[in-house]
Amino acid sequence: MSNSHSDTIPLRPSNSQSDIDEIRSLIDDSVHSGPAVVLPARHPATTPPPSSSPFISSNIPPPPPVSSSSSLQKLQSVPAAPPPPPPVGNSSSIVANGFGPPPNTLTEPVLDTVKRDLWRIVSNLKLVVFPNPFREDPGKALRDWDLWGPFFFIVFLGVALSWSASVKKSQVFAVAFALLAAGAVILTLNVLLLGGHIIFFQSLSLLGYCLFPLDVGALICMLKDNVVAKVIIVCLALAWSSWAAYPFMSSAVNPNRKALALYPVLLMYLSVGFLIIAID
Amino acid sequence: MQNFPPNSGSGRGYQTLEAPAESFEQQPPNNWKGVFNISSYTQYFNVDTDVVINRLISSFHPTAGDFFNKIEANPDLYGLIWITTTLVFMLSCFGNFATYLMQKHTDGTTTWSFDVGYVNVAASGIYGYAIVVPMAFYFLLQYLGSNASLIRFWCMWGYSLSIFVPTAFLLLIPVELLRWIIILITGTASSCFVALNLRSYIEGGNDLTIIVIAAFLLQMALSIFIKVWFFP
Repeated sequence: MSNSHSDTIPLRPSNSQSDIDEIRSLIDDSVHSGPAVVLPARHPATTPPPSSSPFISSNIPPPPPVSSSSSLQKLQSVPAAPPPPPPVGNSSSIVANGFGPPPNTLTEPVLDTVKRDLWRIVSNLKLVVFPNPFREDPGKALRDWDLWGPFFFIVFLGVALSWSASVKKSQVFAVAFALLAAGAVILTLNVLLLGGHIIFFQSLSLLGYCLFPLDVGALICMLKDNVVAKVIIVCLALAWSSWAAYPFMSSAVNPNRKALALYPVLLMYLSVGFLIIAID
Repeated sequence: MQNFPPNSGSGRGYQTLEAPAESFEQQPPNNWKGVFNISSYTQYFNVDTDVVINRLISSFHPTAGDFFNKIEANPDLYGLIWITTTLVFMLSCFGNFATYLMQKHTDGTTTWSFDVGYVNVAASGIYGYAIVVPMAFYFLLQYLGSNASLIRFWCMWGYSLSIFVPTAFLLLIPVELLRWIIILITGTASSCFVALNLRSYIEGGNDLTIIVIAAFLLQMALSIFIKVWFFP
């Protein structure tokens, strides 16, 4: 099955523009060479092998000799012209190469999976919390969202608060976790209900990543016990978190409703900040 | 500005034309697409920032009595949800702080302790009141044959709680008499807001005055509960 196309046109990673160009060139050739020559797109006898590139030009039967060289040349030049699309995903171990399905991540070593997820968390963190102020579109913060990072940050904050509480530790953890998790969901729903356009899980992911400064603040407050220092540190962490979340949230809604979408975010971070200061 | 889903834009327009003509508010909303589809709820959040601020400011005038006219065409649930949430946060935070200040005022040696149970009590109390009481009035008025609209009741009761947010600030002052004066004044203001608006809305004659009085008393009870539990 695979050797039916190995001798004609080499496979290449397909994108729709190259396919359109190819079809256009075929049509041009058939128009130029006259009505007698019609190039079928696919040979009826051979079934195309299953692969990730649906347009397989190899199944075209050899065209009549008059236009064959020119059309073959055109076909061969077309695959060379468009560059292959960049590999999807952060890690080099997953590359969409068109030769069969992408490598199965279920069978790779666990260390590879962990490393890849950790690397994704770090890169998302850099994107969200240390953003480049001159980037072209501040609203597109996380294309490659994940929920591990937010999970770690929420649990860490709950554990830090619970550690520094002297009484009712489990209740403190429960309140912190519920506040953050439910808060992220409710904030996303708020934007959607106000008519904004965001992707649900992307927004959850982003709100979770914006908790990182508060995590740092909670860690420092756990170690130092002075109230004034705590207030200052928490205020700084709060300002940083809000600054990180602001461009994403404000670009998702109609400008008339920006304040309506941002106020709940501020409220949630303020309540978490107050919990950090108040728990001792 | 895009209109996707397209219903939300055109549905709003048609609805505003129909609203003065309808004699009862019981017909289902125009854009209901099912319980689990979020675009069926966007019609209740179709407000801009200035509209919300306008409604908030009007909730501070207890004697105006025209709140239902203001929200006739476009009742919103945004105010209900976020005012109650802000109030829960304020009560739990400032309640703890005020308890500490009061104890320090009388005792002088107490240390700061954060009682996280305040959050639970605040959440169940405020959310429970804001959701159950308008529902109860809606069903009662439906039963008695008067006009009623659940969404508008929720909207009005939600905005009526907004006066308690600055009250929570003021109740930090650790002087007992001053606290009682403050809570009684604001409780009366909020209850008058609820009662007068309710009275101007329902058309039933004199035998429904008892309902208006009940609303007034419930709101006063809530304000006293706030004072007694969170700012003792």
